Amino acid sequence: MSKVLEIKDLKAKIGNKDILKGLNLDLEEGKVHAIMGPNGAGKSTLSKAIVGHYDVEVTDGEIIYKGKNIVDEEPEERALDGIFLSFQNPVEIPGVNNAYFLRTAVNARRKHLGKPELNAAEFLRAMKADVAELGMKPELINRSLNEGFSGGEKKRNEILQMMMLEPDVVILDEIDSGLDIDALRAVSEGINKMKDGKRSFLVITHYSRILDYIEPDYIHVLKDGQIVHTGGSELVEQLEKEGYSSFEEK
Amino acid sequence: MKLDILNTLDSNGILKELGASSSKSVAASALAKLKVPNKKTEKYRYFDIEPLVSKDWKLCEVKEQNVEASGKKIVIEDGALLNSGDIDGVSVEVAEFSDIDAEHFDGLYFLSHLMAPKAIVIRCSKDSSFEIEHNYTSSECLINYRVVILVDANIHCQISDSFKGEAKKSFILSGYDIFVSRDASLKFIKTHTLNSANYTPIFTSRYKVDSSANLKISSFDFSFDNGLNLFRVELKENANLDASHLLYATDSAKYGIVSEIVHEGKSSTSSQIAKSILDKKARGIFDALIRVQNSAKWTKAHQNSKSVLLNSGAYMASKPQLEIYIDDLEASHGSTTGQLDNKQLFYLQSRGIAKDDARKMLILAFAHEIIATVDDEYLANKIYADFETAYYGKYELDCMKTCDSCEESILGIE
Repeated sequence: MSKVLEIKDLKAKIGNKDILKGLNLDLEEGKVHAIMGPNGAGKSTLSKAIVGHYDVEVTDGEIIYKGKNIVDEEPEERALDGIFLSFQNPVEIPGVNNAYFLRTAVNARRKHLGKPELNAAEFLRAMKADVAELGMKPELINRSLNEGFSGGEKKRNEILQMMMLEPDVVILDEIDSGLDIDALRAVSEGINKMKDGKRSFLVITHYSRILDYIEPDYIHVLKDGQIVHTGGSELVEQLEKEGYSSFEEK
Repeated sequence: MKLDILNTLDSNGILKELGASSSKSVAASALAKLKVPNKKTEKYRYFDIEPLVSKDWKLCEVKEQNVEASGKKIVIEDGALLNSGDIDGVSVEVAEFSDIDAEHFDGLYFLSHLMAPKAIVIRCSKDSSFEIEHNYTSSECLINYRVVILVDANIHCQISDSFKGEAKKSFILSGYDIFVSRDASLKFIKTHTLNSANYTPIFTSRYKVDSSANLKISSFDFSFDNGLNLFRVELKENANLDASHLLYATDSAKYGIVSEIVHEGKSSTSSQIAKSILDKKARGIFDALIRVQNSAKWTKAHQNSKSVLLNSGAYMASKPQLEIYIDDLEASHGSTTGQLDNKQLFYLQSRGIAKDDARKMLILAFAHEIIATVDDEYLANKIYADFETAYYGKYELDCMKTCDSCEESILGIE
């Protein structure tokens, strides 16, 4: 199975604090990888490092995506190449129309892939089905981006973006936080429909609940900035019983 | 003519020097007291007034000409009425006007009145919506004129005020005296949006809002050069003011607002929001006072200024002020100045939107709150277009930025 993303000995810090301390991780094409770990282990820092967040300074190591080290690439270059992060707390942007923003993003990606851009009507027709599928209120796409959205609406909006942008690697950072059971089911169904045997997922979570809906192929335990254990879905049960303390840091 | 020489004269001397009639003695006395502003005048502290008042100006003479009366637009060229329009219920005449605001804080307000023997007086006696276009053609001169708008009781008007022209290096000294009568309303949309370093305007105005009347001011100033809007608003009992201002200034422009909103009557309300986008070495000015007099109990008064600096050379002088002489009221004021939000910028980039495009999107979003106060969709779209032209240097308006109709029709939203 080919690797779509290889993280090699990655060291990164936020401010003066070292967070990732030589992290190694391979993402296989078409597979669902889950990262689990206690608070402060570096889960969100890992997702930020992959997408090029300004908070995170990579001090050593490589992030190889489709054969190319992307550590020095701009966030938009990584996104155009197919990396998508669903944010834990999506930011609100008053004044930016949700649909206009998403069409701009979709067309930037289509242009990058050499596909023709969508005009307003084509885009809105394409979006309509995804909006219905996610159980989103249609009026939300007419509003300012995430402004005044509930936690569940923000997460649905993230998944809508994912569906429209059709990325190759999807990073879901705490996608289950703040979701009620119906929203969790709708979001999970949206994600599961995106599985096509080629697209890879990195699901970052505290809790095993989301993994009842999105079945992982691999589970990686992240502690103190390193992957300390990798296994299959059987790890969920062990983590439930024993917690993270049973996994020793390297 | 040098304006600052008037500071050496008393009121009689001012009247004589300007050839003004004795009916304007109140203005002359006020000017003698307030003086023609100079670099030490507090209200002009952040503005470059000295070159304007010390220069020996050639006066642009208001030409007597045949006035057209056609269309829905009133056209004023270099201070002269060119077209009075053919608008049902709206009369326009050039007449002497002496009901000036004796309490106005600005010396140039009085000077402007003294220099203009007559004013263009527009009376709205039926509900109407129309445009006033100011066209400037004379270069290197002082263009002074006054416009008066009277909105009769129970009448509801919308006026769109626009400016254009190539009056290179001219000084425009002008302004409005606007009277919104009892139970009337006026939406006044001032779009001074395409001033590309041609002339320097100082608009010094007065708005009188009578009992239970409503005034909504939306002003848009996009500029590459200096300019200032000074205005005073009087609010009578139950009167309401909604004032929104959007400024985009770039290059070395010094531009802004100096205002005084006076709550005179009880239960009067005011809301003033200013947003400024400043690039390169531009300086924005928001020096705004709300005064609540002891006669104005149960007043509500809110004021806010938000500014975005796009460049380390840009500067915002923001001074929101409340002056309150009564206990029983609701009032607030605030001011923020900063840069574009990094979290928002990153979010857009993380979706594949290039950094420059993301910045533009956020700047337009910042402006959106004020542009959205214009509920006339055609006009709002024109302001968006002008903003894009001023900011990007070109116009690429996309309907999805500004209107909801296509989303609504396609998505079937009721």
